[in-house]
Amino acid sequence: MSYVALIFLPLFGSLFIYLPTRNLGGTKYITLALFIFMFSQMIALFTALPEHGYMMLGEYLPVTKFDFILTLQVDRLSVIMLLLSSVLLILVTLASWNVEKKPAAYFSLLIFFSGAIFGVFLSTNLLWFFIFWELTLIPMLFLVGIWGAEGRIYAAIKFFLYTHIASMLILLAFFLMYKESGTFDMTLIKESMLSTPVLIYFLLFIGFAVKMPLFPFHTWLPDAHVQAPAPVSALLAGVLLKMGAYGMIRLVLLLLPETSQKYAWILLTLGLITLLFAGFMALYETHIKKMVAYSSISHMGLIAIAMSALSFDSLSAALYEMIGHALIISPLFLIAGFFHQKLHSWEMKDMGGIMQKAPYLSAIFVLAGLGALGLPGTMGFIGEISILISAIESFGAWIVVILFGSLLASAYLIWTFRRVIYGQMSAKVSATDFSMHKVEFFALVIFALLILFFGIFPSSLFEVINQAFSPYLNAGGAL
Amino acid sequence: MSIALLLILPFTGAITAFIIGKISKKYAFVFAEVIGFLLFALVVNIFLNYTKPINIPLDWFTFGNVTLPFGIYIDHLSVVMLLIATGLGALDIHFSHDYMKEDPDQARYYAKILFFIGGMILLVSAKELTGLFVGWEFMGLASYLLISFWHQNNTPADAGVAAFLYTKFGDIFLFAAMGLLLYFTGTLDLQKINLLASQNQLASSVSFVIAIFIFIAAIGKSGQFPLFPWLMRAMEGPTTVSALIHGATMVNSGIYIVARLFDFYEASQALIVVAAVASLSAFIGATSALVQKEIKKVLAYSTMSHLSLAFIGLGVGSLSAGMTHLTNHAIFKALLFLSAGAVIMSARHNKDLFRLGGTYKKLTLVAIFMALGALSLSGIPPFSGFYSKDAIITASLLNPQTHGIISTLTIIAGVLSVAYIFRVWLLIFAGKPRDLELNEAITTPSKFWIALPLGIMAFATLALGFYQKELRVYITGEEVGEAHIEYLLPSLLGAIFLVAFIVYKFYKSRPDLRDNLAAQPFMKAIHRVLYNGYFIEQMITWFVQVVIIHSVAKTIHWVEVHIVDGAINKTVAMSHSIFMLFSKTTTSKVSNQAGVMLLGVFSLFVILFIGSVV
Amino acid sequence: MSAFTLLFGFAILSFAIRNRSFLKLLSLSVLGVSAYLTLHGYALPLQGFYLSDGIAFFELILFIVLSAFVLNEDENISITQTLFIGTASIALLESQTLLNFIISFEALSIISFVLVANIKNTTQASGAVKMFIAGSIATALIVLGTTFYLFEGASLNAQIGSTGTFGTIGLWIMLSGLFYKLTIVPMHTWAADSYAQIKASNAALLSGVAKTVAAIAIFQTFSPFLLQHIAFNLPILIALALITMTLGNFLALFQKRVAKILAYSSIAHAGYMLLAFVAVKSSYASTGLLYIAIAYIFMQSALFLLIGNISKDSTQLRLDDLKGFGKKDKLVAFLFTVQLFSLAGVPLLAGFLSKAVLVYAVVDVDLPIVALVTLLNSALSVAYYVWIVKHIYFDEGDSKLQSLQALPLFAQLILLGGTLYFGVFALDVFKVII
Repeated sequence: MSYVALIFLPLFGSLFIYLPTRNLGGTKYITLALFIFMFSQMIALFTALPEHGYMMLGEYLPVTKFDFILTLQVDRLSVIMLLLSSVLLILVTLASWNVEKKPAAYFSLLIFFSGAIFGVFLSTNLLWFFIFWELTLIPMLFLVGIWGAEGRIYAAIKFFLYTHIASMLILLAFFLMYKESGTFDMTLIKESMLSTPVLIYFLLFIGFAVKMPLFPFHTWLPDAHVQAPAPVSALLAGVLLKMGAYGMIRLVLLLLPETSQKYAWILLTLGLITLLFAGFMALYETHIKKMVAYSSISHMGLIAIAMSALSFDSLSAALYEMIGHALIISPLFLIAGFFHQKLHSWEMKDMGGIMQKAPYLSAIFVLAGLGALGLPGTMGFIGEISILISAIESFGAWIVVILFGSLLASAYLIWTFRRVIYGQMSAKVSATDFSMHKVEFFALVIFALLILFFGIFPSSLFEVINQAFSPYLNAGGAL
Repeated sequence: MSIALLLILPFTGAITAFIIGKISKKYAFVFAEVIGFLLFALVVNIFLNYTKPINIPLDWFTFGNVTLPFGIYIDHLSVVMLLIATGLGALDIHFSHDYMKEDPDQARYYAKILFFIGGMILLVSAKELTGLFVGWEFMGLASYLLISFWHQNNTPADAGVAAFLYTKFGDIFLFAAMGLLLYFTGTLDLQKINLLASQNQLASSVSFVIAIFIFIAAIGKSGQFPLFPWLMRAMEGPTTVSALIHGATMVNSGIYIVARLFDFYEASQALIVVAAVASLSAFIGATSALVQKEIKKVLAYSTMSHLSLAFIGLGVGSLSAGMTHLTNHAIFKALLFLSAGAVIMSARHNKDLFRLGGTYKKLTLVAIFMALGALSLSGIPPFSGFYSKDAIITASLLNPQTHGIISTLTIIAGVLSVAYIFRVWLLIFAGKPRDLELNEAITTPSKFWIALPLGIMAFATLALGFYQKELRVYITGEEVGEAHIEYLLPSLLGAIFLVAFIVYKFYKSRPDLRDNLAAQPFMKAIHRVLYNGYFIEQMITWFVQVVIIHSVAKTIHWVEVHIVDGAINKTVAMSHSIFMLFSKTTTSKVSNQAGVMLLGVFSLFVILFIGSVV
Repeated sequence: MSAFTLLFGFAILSFAIRNRSFLKLLSLSVLGVSAYLTLHGYALPLQGFYLSDGIAFFELILFIVLSAFVLNEDENISITQTLFIGTASIALLESQTLLNFIISFEALSIISFVLVANIKNTTQASGAVKMFIAGSIATALIVLGTTFYLFEGASLNAQIGSTGTFGTIGLWIMLSGLFYKLTIVPMHTWAADSYAQIKASNAALLSGVAKTVAAIAIFQTFSPFLLQHIAFNLPILIALALITMTLGNFLALFQKRVAKILAYSSIAHAGYMLLAFVAVKSSYASTGLLYIAIAYIFMQSALFLLIGNISKDSTQLRLDDLKGFGKKDKLVAFLFTVQLFSLAGVPLLAGFLSKAVLVYAVVDVDLPIVALVTLLNSALSVAYYVWIVKHIYFDEGDSKLQSLQALPLFAQLILLGGTLYFGVFALDVFKVII
């Protein structure tokens, strides 16, 4: 099995699911089977990884004159991201089991997305990386624009344009890097660059900051997340934002370490502002999905802070928190979306007492929420403590202020529980049937179990994460 | 092996109890009771076979170059706390059989109770701050879930929110302290931190800040000023839960952590802060307890006040006084709560003191056991409460730093205990029934399920009075000379009896005196202040509602909508105006098009010309 | 025998047999033979014409696209005109001397006029007249420029040599005339109206084929001149390129008619193409231009042909008419979307790679700011392309648009193939040199 097929088979195969006018049905089974296959491939790939460095998976379509070669290489960092993405794809497929509107088109877009996202993490050629990076936007545009809620069109177009503009900056940065180094290969470019103009750093920084997103480039996210159908919000938060963070780590922090060190304060400042600003936004929000969206942004701020600390410890912590955030925020989005689907309202005042109607669903919501506020036993805590410790190492004692983000998270989440899950049943809730499709619920259970498992046994994840960054250490043990 | 079992059993037991309870309601209790007593047996086993501290270093996880440990360390202090937690916990579960009999959600209840006990076990068995913090947060969660156990109603749900957020506010300081300790000392091992501190290897300013941070967390967990309002709100939960929170587990953890890091606190000179805050809390708690209308509220304020006494004991430098008081308090407070629970249960879940009265006949056993608990709380010899309270007051007077305001507040709080608890007892049991209908409905509780646990606790609080010295030695590990102040004991006892007499007059023989006094406008104002817990909760709520949410968050919301996102949305209008501007240059008239072309080319050449000349 | 001769001869013949039904089939075979001849290096057999491998490659693409045009066409007279356009294009592309270039260019213009002279209604008439007048101004400028150029005693029957002041002025006057075909500001005024008012397939030929051919030919002919006076020329070229693309993009933004949007986007693309002139120093400039020409010829032709087919009167096709189209005709909506995305520069489609190479060429000559403005322009253009997509897919509505017949659909598939192929396989473009 050639890995290039894992990219192009979904990309072009999705057309054959979408285009036939007679609906064949069962597309969801095909999708699920494909994603499980991709996941198994990634497991196999993971076990075959060498101790250090990259593993070459093949070179295709070489245009040597422009170094435009589809080079597929993986190291631990990218395989971790691939595993995370494929797990999320499987779970999101399960969570979309009941899509009523145009299922064939819906799943074909998911398949298309999977190809693009695999391309992003598999290819080490910057141009191809960019191509796949951009391609991920297309299915998202349609998924939000067609299956979204009432404000879907505004949200979809805003999302598309905003992130597209950011991509343009990234592309320019890649070109400038190519001019300096004569190569687009991200595994070689660091050594080949003659100089590193500051412009490259800032272009990449803004480009990835939009995707992550960091204040003040975050406003596309609440709209997109809120309007997107719940599984797509989960995908956005779980995969797309992580792509931004991955780019920030791989192409900014690891590729331009000196410049990043010099301007780490910018990342730190934006991270802090994001953490608190979005935290306060979530606190003020009465719209359940917006609250989750801002909570998601707030946590990305925390990840940015960890990144800005630029140490082995902090990057490991950041990567862990990225995975944790993906697994924690996704079920929150899924359940918030489910509530909306049933109640036809986003407002928390229309909710309340859902625990009495749907206890297990509510319990998973609470569990994921507790994860988001960093309760021990969940992934959120491990992420927070490791980020805190590594940030103190780099910035000194004052950085404990990041814990106010955690306090804010507790406040808005606990209040949300109170308004949505607990308390007296609202009239709307008591008139609503909250039964969920078994498969969709199963996906949520998996999320819950993962949050708990990696929260209690984090070392199973950290062993891999630490190895992902250890090759970047120099003799002194620093990056 | 038994250690591992002790740590894991509550959690696996919680899950199993839930599943069993979902299958068959009544077996949840049976299972939980078995687990509860099994845990107690395990602890007793540890207690009996104790030779030296159990020390099991373990690593949790490594990120980057940092390894976070999660070891087990059980010494005498831990064993005492374990005995309290599991012993009272088991009795509490036993008591729950009747108390929660009619509740449909037993599976959930017992699962949460076991989880709660598990959190406490984890907390006190932790070798490092990491494990302690995990247990700490588990208890925060468990208390949240249990206080809002009847989540169908708004008040318990609100109370749960309050419990979580008040304690969480403190917790983030503990979290911060954890990070700071690792940074400054390189270790999270509690023993090592003590050792480093006592060897003066820590900068005192740094360790002072860290100590204060930890203390803020303790304030939150142990319901001290100003983070106590949740403790009163927590009364919305089942009374068994209140007994567990206030007696066996949660609130003790704040004191435990200060006691655990006692050397560190001593070296960082933070004890005086502990004493100061605690004495204020003791005073607030004791005075507010005087005027409450609900049984459980009185007990809640009394918890606050007595935990403060334990803190004062630590704060004035007497580890033994503080810890023995904590132990004694745990038992008599659990007893009092469960007695109150028995009363409430028998009285159809009525908590209003002024609707009870004259129930002695029907609730004789409960009244007797509660009286024993009350005597212990009041500090009457030979009950255990007397010895520790006396030791604390003595120590506070002897310490030159605290001699004065702190010791005065301590004495007031200590003496006032008798007032509020005697008042409660009188209002419940003595006199004539105030609400006849309710009185009719009161049933005598079961001897085995209700009276037995009360009896065991009553016995314990009495018996422990005779082992105070041993307890002190067991906890501190050294023989501490008993400090004495002349005339202190008789004057304290005199004051206590005087207060008891006044209460008797007010609430039994001459209620008119009380009513006359209460009718004074000045007294009315004081009553309001006390009844509302000095309006601390109102102030905090105001601060959160008005300042945080409706000022800060609202401003940020405005900035987001109008500036950050507003700018983005403005781009549409902006590009529209550019579009309009450009549209003016376009024309559909052929002549104009040709004109523009020629004009354009002409100006191009003018520019070219100027360019070439320049 | 060369492709030029064959096409020319057959174009004349086709006029004679314009009523025969086999004309379409015959035209396709002629285009096929022409492609074969071009591939084997048969250049126009006259002095001053030369067939480089890059041009041969581009001509091959041209023949493929022209086949799609022929397939799409329902009027035989238009097939004839298409063949004539092809003939003139070959001549223009293969011109090596200035004289040949001017003659071929004028020939292309004249055929274009003939093309739009096929008037059916007043709207088309208005479009044709506008184009005609603009064209005559352009011709006048070219002639004027030529005279200036000849002042210094330079020969027309050679490539552009070194020039003095008069020569430079002359060539610039000539360039401004030539920019008419490229629709560069300020010679753009006619384009938006004409493209949007004439018959869609004619608009496709003019904005898709004629423009790209002209761009390559002008670049080929004038690059020595541009290089020679680079310091002087660069600021003007940058300004023209940026103004053209910005103007085109902004004007396309809030249009209501699809043809108008495509017309302005065509102007914007002229701006991108001019970047190759800006980056003439870079070795990537010619590749970039060739690439964008190839990409553009596919996507722009496809879109104009498509709107001509799905609506009775493409000039009146409004965005609102597209509502619900995605539901009604999945395949055609998909074809429409892919080509739009290609224009927008979405990856894995030819539009992205071509723009990318051009922008890199600009980066290569150390003009990152110009590159940035271009990229932002491209991002801006996405707004109106997505706006069309929004109408097709996101809006609910009953679309009254027609579906495609078999042959036009086949034509669309050919063009789609080109857009997809050159979105992935870049090597074919990189290995040839203009």
